[in-house]
Amino acid sequence: MRVSYEWLKSMVDVPEDPQSLVDEFVRTGTEVESVERLGSDITGVVTSQVLEKVPHPDSDHMFVCKMDVGEHNVDEGGRPVPLQVVCGAQNFSQGDKTVTALVGATLPGGITIKKGKLRGIESRGMNCSSRELGLDGDHAGIMILPPETPVGLEFTDYAGTSDTVIDCEITPNRPDCLSMLGMAREVAAMLDEDVHVDLPAIKDESAAHGRTEDLVDVRIEDDRLCPRYTARVVRNVKIGPSPEWLARRIVAAGSRPINNVVDVTNYVMYLTGQPLHAFDLGKLSERDGRRHIVVRAARDGETITTLDGQRRALTDDMVVITDDGKTPVALAGVMGGLDSEIDETSVDVLLESASFEPGHISRASRNLDLMSEASIRYERQVDPMGCAMVSDIAAALFEECCAAEVCEGMVDACPVEPEPVELTLRPQRVRGLCGAPITTEFMAGRLSRLGCEVTRGAGEDEALAVRVPSNRPDLSREIDLVEEVLRLWGEGDVRPTLPAARNHAGGLRPDQRLLRKIGSTLRAAGLSETSTYNFADPRDLERLGMPGVGRGVPVRILRPLVADQSEMRRDLLPGLLRSVAYNKDHGVKNVQLYELGRVFFGHEHASQPEEPSYVAAVLSGAWDDDQWSSKPAGLDFFDAKGVVETLLDALRITKVRFRVAERESYPWLQPGRAAEVLAQGELLGWVGNVHPNALANFDLEDDVVAFELSVAALMRLAQRELPFEDVPTLPGVSIDLALVVDEELPFEQVLQRIRSAGGKLLADVRLFDVYRDERRVGAGKKSLAFSLTYRAEGRTLTSEEVERAHSKLVGKVTKSTGGEVRG
Amino acid sequence: MAMSDELRSIQEMVERGVREASSLEELEQLRISATGKKGSLTAIMRSMGKLAPEERPAMGQLANSVRSGVEEAIARRKAELSRAALEARIQADAVDVTLPGRRLSQGTQHLISQIREEIEDIFVGLGYTVEDGPYVETTYYNFTALNAPEDHPSRSAKDTFYVEDRAPEGKATHVLGESDVLLRTQTSGVQVHVMEEKEPPIYMICPGTVFRPDTADANHLPQFTQVEGLVVDEGITFGDLKGTLDYFCREIFGKDRATRYRPHFFPFTEPSCEVDVSCGVCHGKGCRFCKNTGWLEILGCGMVDPNVFSYVGINPEKYSGFAFGIGVERVAALRYDLPDLRMLMTGDMRFLRQF
Repeated sequence: MRVSYEWLKSMVDVPEDPQSLVDEFVRTGTEVESVERLGSDITGVVTSQVLEKVPHPDSDHMFVCKMDVGEHNVDEGGRPVPLQVVCGAQNFSQGDKTVTALVGATLPGGITIKKGKLRGIESRGMNCSSRELGLDGDHAGIMILPPETPVGLEFTDYAGTSDTVIDCEITPNRPDCLSMLGMAREVAAMLDEDVHVDLPAIKDESAAHGRTEDLVDVRIEDDRLCPRYTARVVRNVKIGPSPEWLARRIVAAGSRPINNVVDVTNYVMYLTGQPLHAFDLGKLSERDGRRHIVVRAARDGETITTLDGQRRALTDDMVVITDDGKTPVALAGVMGGLDSEIDETSVDVLLESASFEPGHISRASRNLDLMSEASIRYERQVDPMGCAMVSDIAAALFEECCAAEVCEGMVDACPVEPEPVELTLRPQRVRGLCGAPITTEFMAGRLSRLGCEVTRGAGEDEALAVRVPSNRPDLSREIDLVEEVLRLWGEGDVRPTLPAARNHAGGLRPDQRLLRKIGSTLRAAGLSETSTYNFADPRDLERLGMPGVGRGVPVRILRPLVADQSEMRRDLLPGLLRSVAYNKDHGVKNVQLYELGRVFFGHEHASQPEEPSYVAAVLSGAWDDDQWSSKPAGLDFFDAKGVVETLLDALRITKVRFRVAERESYPWLQPGRAAEVLAQGELLGWVGNVHPNALANFDLEDDVVAFELSVAALMRLAQRELPFEDVPTLPGVSIDLALVVDEELPFEQVLQRIRSAGGKLLADVRLFDVYRDERRVGAGKKSLAFSLTYRAEGRTLTSEEVERAHSKLVGKVTKSTGGEVRG
Repeated sequence: MAMSDELRSIQEMVERGVREASSLEELEQLRISATGKKGSLTAIMRSMGKLAPEERPAMGQLANSVRSGVEEAIARRKAELSRAALEARIQADAVDVTLPGRRLSQGTQHLISQIREEIEDIFVGLGYTVEDGPYVETTYYNFTALNAPEDHPSRSAKDTFYVEDRAPEGKATHVLGESDVLLRTQTSGVQVHVMEEKEPPIYMICPGTVFRPDTADANHLPQFTQVEGLVVDEGITFGDLKGTLDYFCREIFGKDRATRYRPHFFPFTEPSCEVDVSCGVCHGKGCRFCKNTGWLEILGCGMVDPNVFSYVGINPEKYSGFAFGIGVERVAALRYDLPDLRMLMTGDMRFLRQF
């Protein structure tokens, strides 16, 4: 809402400096978008008089004028002398007062006036049209000012265009503030001042001009769509430009002047917040000597060409004003129809002042992507009680500005009479909720300023009876009044306190602490956390080669911003692979990323999907670049597996197993370098090299190892503590054992055999080397070197005991694995 | 040669040897040759018995003093040589301490989750719980139960991502591009879930990812992070809201920062306000960073609207409460003056490793 400071000043006493009002706006909850000084872009433009006007010798339409510009053009002796200006306008005579831009003047849009020659004749300035001065659309000629205008005044001073416009952002709950009257009330309440407004009154409303009810009838088909519709007729309007003062105000408010009839409707809308529409009565069809306005729901497929020239297809959720129920002549509350538009030929005007149901207007505006000054107001609710009064104001201005004759009476279809809202405000409740010592007097005083009728009892704590003005639909409950009181009293002045929080304990839950632990462990293991979009490209899984089975159906976004983010992700890996690609594209070779996030498995017959959380990671390149002290090897399967093991250890998850991930079940992983992660028999996820085909589909060439684990499974299996095992006090005996076995035999099985063969005395088994050599070890064989530690509880083992245990172990293991001991 | 002369010559020889010994090994050899089992001094001491009884006391005394003198000289020299040897080893061991250390490569936490945890910790310190809920939410929890009118502009497909409603009873809405299921635009729905499930007192925050159809650019992301908070208890006042948020702002932005409360409108709260914190660059004087206002807008808040209580069956006459919402990306952008929010989503290691 653009608030003209000059206009506001005419209704309420405001401080001279607009900035102090801006501060008050901010303090009481009206956001100020900008403060704009109008006319500040016009300099060097003065009022003037045409002293002489002779035709240009070499032009059939230009004149050479001598202009009196007062002190602005002087001879050497300092005496004013006329200024020669060549002018192409046709609308002026010698002696007329007008506006001249001097050499060096600037006009709106940054135009600068220079000395020049027009067809050989020197011109030292320019006589201006109102449009050149940024005022209105009348471009027919130069501005002609009243004869009494003094000469030589700065135009901005003369015209008062040196106005300040405060552009306020009005919150959706305050339809009243989308009007100058409403803003005046608001300012009055802020500053504790009176509002004084002189509304124009109709001078000659007479049956001699006709009676509205004889000319028009109105029928509302569905009163849920339209609580009130008033129509007035004014006749014999003289279409022309609006008077200066009115044009200036609507320009300040943000409209372009069009013609006096349309401008009056806009002016009254800015003044009152009630959108008006003027139909050309002559363009509406007549039956039985009357026009028949029917307000009804639009029909699917019906169309209307709106004032902006666009043909609009309507739906049955929209409301239309129709000519006798048939043709839509206006899209109710949004925009008028082109066919009944006021133009220079219009004579009689049907003025609509109505109230429509906000939801329909809001949806129509959204569905047609058509926002107007009217729709902005209607979707916030327009006061049905005000329709008639506003119609009168407009009629009075039609008389004043368009020489209109006002027909007697109005047609007022008002099927729903709203009840006045009476509220009770308990002062103690106000003080209690706000935690501030606001006096009852303050409450009563400021609510009255806002237009409420307040009845106050004797005591400080006695409840106030508050009758709310009908233009404040936001005040319907006691709490709404509390808000008004608090914001005017000052939220900033409330003393800060902390709640006592009796009988309440907070803190993180164990699962939340575990989630943090997952993150901190992965970071300690060398991975950095990242965040990718929860959106996905519908082709993501296919690109990865990941089956959709077990991942539900996609959650599709109805209106995605971009096609590759049109559904919700069903796996974290695609996003992470894109991050790897981003890094590689930007010259970053070493990537170690993890993400903790949700995926979305939609159900075929349910509104909402499952949203399980996963933790996933990608590793590519090396842990670090080569250093003088270390040359990190390329990241491979065992780096990723090591991270998984570290994580499971940190969460105290026991009975962990890694099982070969079968190629059929994990087609996005490279066969032979992929494993399922299990613990206590439950599947946690997978770890492995991403399949080269999948990598290629994400524009990646280098190896990427990855893992993905279910957070729910991690949480289920994580343990808060494991039983304590006493630290051994007696030394163990370590013996190395190199075992040559078939390449195909997994380490896991060898380990199991060793463990079961070792019995109670075998305290620890550590694999310290895997060695392959066709000549020394044999083809298809591998040598696994273990360090075995024997220890007994509570006593020192004798060397005989150790030897006995070890040779028994070797015997059993070589037999069970088919391996042999390497000498 | 008299025994006394012999003793003196041994003494001289040993003392000379001690002076000349350049290593611990040489010195040890010397010690063995003098006082070892077969050493010269040891031999003399053993022959003491052959002396006449009247000579023995004087000669014994002399021999003892020679031996202790020799031992002492050897010990002294040994200490000297040990010191020198250690010194030599230390010299040889010296490194260029300006060479880089051997580091474990640790990962970093994403900037947004760092700030989110920081916020969580502040409120956990005030006794709050941390809650979460579904990202794909119904219009009821995202809007209706939060008192957003049926035709509130925030419900439009311009401001909300709606998703296909697969429920058999899922109905089409009046407005194109809308359904009854959406990507939550705020985490406030969680508050409704909690109020439905829990009796007051409630002191909670709900941090989490939210979505709005803003095309990604330097200042917008279609997916971002919010932390909303809710308190419901007996006797909660607007002053409590201010005290809580003042505390929060000082904890997260610094003790020297001031706050400003500007009344505002949100459907969920009444009275409502926006909170600004004084600009950390110019300290309120006005600069480019704060667009010359001296203030930076950081959160929205207010007293819980009684309508919201009635949706969840809490008696607004008995209980009151406040709620607030903070944009985590906003806090991050303010703290680091980030030039482009999209950096938060690319996974660029060079960006992530800085925090």
